[in-house]
Amino acid sequence: MTSDALIMRGVTRDYPVGTAFGRKQTLRALRGIDLTVGKGRTLGLVGESGCGKSTLAKILLGVEQASSGEVLVEGRPISGYGRLERAGLIQPVFQDPYSSLNPRMTVETLIAAPLAVRGIGDSALRRRRAREMAALVGLPDHLVSSYPSQLSGGQRQRVAIARALIGEPRILICDEPTSALDVSVQSQILNLLHRLKSELDLTMILISHNLAVVHHLADEVAVMYLGQIVESGPSAEVFARPRHPYTEALLKAVLPPRAGVRLPELGLEAEFPSPLRPPSGCAFHPRCRVADGLCAERAPERDGTNHSFRCHHPLGGGDQAAAMTTPETA
Amino acid sequence: MDGPILEVAGLRVDIPVDGSTLRPVRRVDLTVGRGETVAIVGESGCGKSLTALSIMGLLPRSARPSSDHVRLKGEDISKASPRRWRKLRGDRIAMIFQDPMTALDPCYRIGDQMVEILRQHRSISRSDAQARAVELLGKVGVPTPEERLSQFPHQLSGGLRQRVMIAMALLCEPELVIADEPTTALDVTIQAQILRLLRDIQRETGIGLVLITHDLGVVAGVADRIVVMYGGEVVETGTCDEVLGAPLHPYTEGLLRSIPVPGETRQGERLGFIPGVVPRQSGEQTSCGFLKRCPYAMAECAGGPVAIRDIAHGRGVRCLLPPDPGARDPGLWTRFETEEVAS
Amino acid sequence: MANSTNIAPLSPGQLAFRRALRHGGFWTGGLIILVIVLAAIFAPLLTPYDPALQDLTQRYIPPVWSEKGTWDHILGTDNLGRDYFARVLYGTRISLGIGLLTLLISGTIGVSLGIAAGYWGGWPDLVINFLITIRLTLPVVLVALVVVALIGNSLTLLVLVIGLLLWDRFAIVVRSATQQVASREYITSARAIGSSTPRILFREILPNITGPLIVVASIEIAHAILLEAALSFLGLGVQPPQVSWGLMVAEAKSQLMFRPWMIAIPGAALVLLIFAINLVGDTVRDVTTPEGKA
Repeated sequence: MTSDALIMRGVTRDYPVGTAFGRKQTLRALRGIDLTVGKGRTLGLVGESGCGKSTLAKILLGVEQASSGEVLVEGRPISGYGRLERAGLIQPVFQDPYSSLNPRMTVETLIAAPLAVRGIGDSALRRRRAREMAALVGLPDHLVSSYPSQLSGGQRQRVAIARALIGEPRILICDEPTSALDVSVQSQILNLLHRLKSELDLTMILISHNLAVVHHLADEVAVMYLGQIVESGPSAEVFARPRHPYTEALLKAVLPPRAGVRLPELGLEAEFPSPLRPPSGCAFHPRCRVADGLCAERAPERDGTNHSFRCHHPLGGGDQAAAMTTPETA
Repeated sequence: MDGPILEVAGLRVDIPVDGSTLRPVRRVDLTVGRGETVAIVGESGCGKSLTALSIMGLLPRSARPSSDHVRLKGEDISKASPRRWRKLRGDRIAMIFQDPMTALDPCYRIGDQMVEILRQHRSISRSDAQARAVELLGKVGVPTPEERLSQFPHQLSGGLRQRVMIAMALLCEPELVIADEPTTALDVTIQAQILRLLRDIQRETGIGLVLITHDLGVVAGVADRIVVMYGGEVVETGTCDEVLGAPLHPYTEGLLRSIPVPGETRQGERLGFIPGVVPRQSGEQTSCGFLKRCPYAMAECAGGPVAIRDIAHGRGVRCLLPPDPGARDPGLWTRFETEEVAS
Repeated sequence: MANSTNIAPLSPGQLAFRRALRHGGFWTGGLIILVIVLAAIFAPLLTPYDPALQDLTQRYIPPVWSEKGTWDHILGTDNLGRDYFARVLYGTRISLGIGLLTLLISGTIGVSLGIAAGYWGGWPDLVINFLITIRLTLPVVLVALVVVALIGNSLTLLVLVIGLLLWDRFAIVVRSATQQVASREYITSARAIGSSTPRILFREILPNITGPLIVVASIEIAHAILLEAALSFLGLGVQPPQVSWGLMVAEAKSQLMFRPWMIAIPGAALVLLIFAINLVGDTVRDVTTPEGKA
């Protein structure tokens, strides 16, 4: 009914963190995520460790449940899908192909597993499909009876991608798909993902800390900080004109391998706060170069429609004006 | 005397495994001058970390290093006794590891670990050692250094731990610091800060810094000279601007063409890549080590091992191609469909 | 099957087996166990004597290597004139049988509990840990003594008691191995493709913990055999006319000073079997450890 592949509204996720003697604490990994991904689009989810991007991925995969809020996949709540139905719709590609493939299974079995789990076809058909997928992701035929330990990192990641795609899912969630790979291999996987997403008309969520990777693949970007999306919008626009100081810092932190490049001055203070004790007001204010008293007091609301951000003093839009038009909340 | 701080010539490391011999480091020459930052760049398995460990005398027991010489300020340390090594390490050569969580002992307070190092190498009172530790922690940008002394490593964030590691490396004012992937385990925003810190300290103290990394972006802002390693060999050397601006070795060129750069590469543009996989490093070489993966390979390349060629002072390349990157066809890097090469 | 490549890839299990074949301990231990197992199976063919047949005219004949020995009774006879070689042979059956049967019981209990605790964590883990703790507070021999004293003894009871007591090590080792495997991404990946829980437990986790499992099994089978011997020695295990090595030692204990060979022979059999089992267990540990790192 809707053309959006994925909608998240006010999604939170809490983890109880308790010690044997200490009082129970709550770690809020996601603090109200609103997100929409159109069909066939690629969303880049950017953030540093602890920002909640992997928790988000786990919720989408159905491995974990949201504590509150709504997750709609193809117009239906994710909890309304059965285990196999959901698996047929959403598939993951993980960061580390050294640990995401069961070392006791052959490449063929690994790729065909989603079909076997759903009882599709007989074993001969599944093997044929596995070989077809292997060919699609550029895995040479003679490797299909190998075990993961006999493959290189890039080859393993190709196996993981083939396995994710064999059940013809609509949505592919790639969690740092190239971070564990060598530079020269990383580009092959990026090329492959780019080819596949247009060939198969996939909706893709690309989770990465590497903005260069996100820039290369994503149509839209969402920047996460401490369990919130602090800025989101069309990739080209966010990269050209970041509004949130954190996005700006992340962009500056990309170190291009070019002659004559100097180390960037990020203008970031202090370090990533503990999600157990998030700062008051805007969670980013202790590190922000433009923060003032207001930022420590009140959390900024989401501003902007297409290209939205959460900041009292957005960049590039005239700081004073933006600060004054910040909507008052009851 | 103003000679180089570190001179390594003909370094090789053999590791006997199951009857055959792995040769992860084959031919490495390296010179680090005073106040100079030399980056050793390469991908996993190129031998860069083993090179670092063998300079530190910290190779695994099974490894067999050999070299023409490894000189620290003129003293050949390749044949130093274990006793001499204990004096050198931490005092005149220090190392910064990739993962500060595992490189710091979780059982001891930061202060105790730092004082221990100082008292090992200097006859210095406990309180003086503590004062020095506080001074250094402050210098590397650790806030409230006095309080940190009584903290345990797990109480610090990743970035702070790496700062502590750097402070520990600098305690005895070493002449040479080897940093093995010092920012790989850190978040991107922390990475820039740590790199800046390393560079500032290096400029201030004039130590020789060997930076080992797989990330050419890290190198760009920090290194004076770059040594590119592939398959246990140095394949290209030169200043940072020379190597990044006009790479001569096809491997360096391939690496640079495979990295997307926002603002330079277009979205979705086909990136270059190096076909094939890193070969297993065993046996002696009978051809150029990069032959099987090189899009420019010629018949001569299979003739025998290739010697490093000096193009200019401090600029060398282990390749038979004419040293003119402009004459090559960069389209070759994107024509492959898979990482396999037809054999 | 028409894979004609001569470099057919080996599974991790096959690789471990290949490494085991190059391992001296595996050959030594395996060979001893093979001989002992064959001896147990073919006992009636190897000796003409019935191990329970008494012949009071043939009491206390020493083994063949002593001066008064005779080839009729290679290992001599006991106080009732029963052939010692036949008794050792048939005793092997009891030892191996009890070892394997108890292993089946303790292994099933321990592995199920260990996997459940390791995979689900949370309250199942708490409950199972509590069970393990309780089990560890029970002194094995004492409990066996009490049970046998209360219920009376039979072979079935012996197997049950030992089996129900020796699962703790399985549970502990399997639990931590499962925790390790369960945290790996291929388990998340298996859940994401919609695998059912049994499929995850049996296809994904179990094959990846076989290494430690075999090691524990080798320790526990040896443990069970020793325990049976100890209980039989105390008169609470195997009862005559059945034969067991422990029982043989018990019956000969009054002869310790006069005919030490009566104790040395079943003792040596026991030592040899345990030694061989441990050798094989050690090999398995050696050949499966590096694979996890690869």
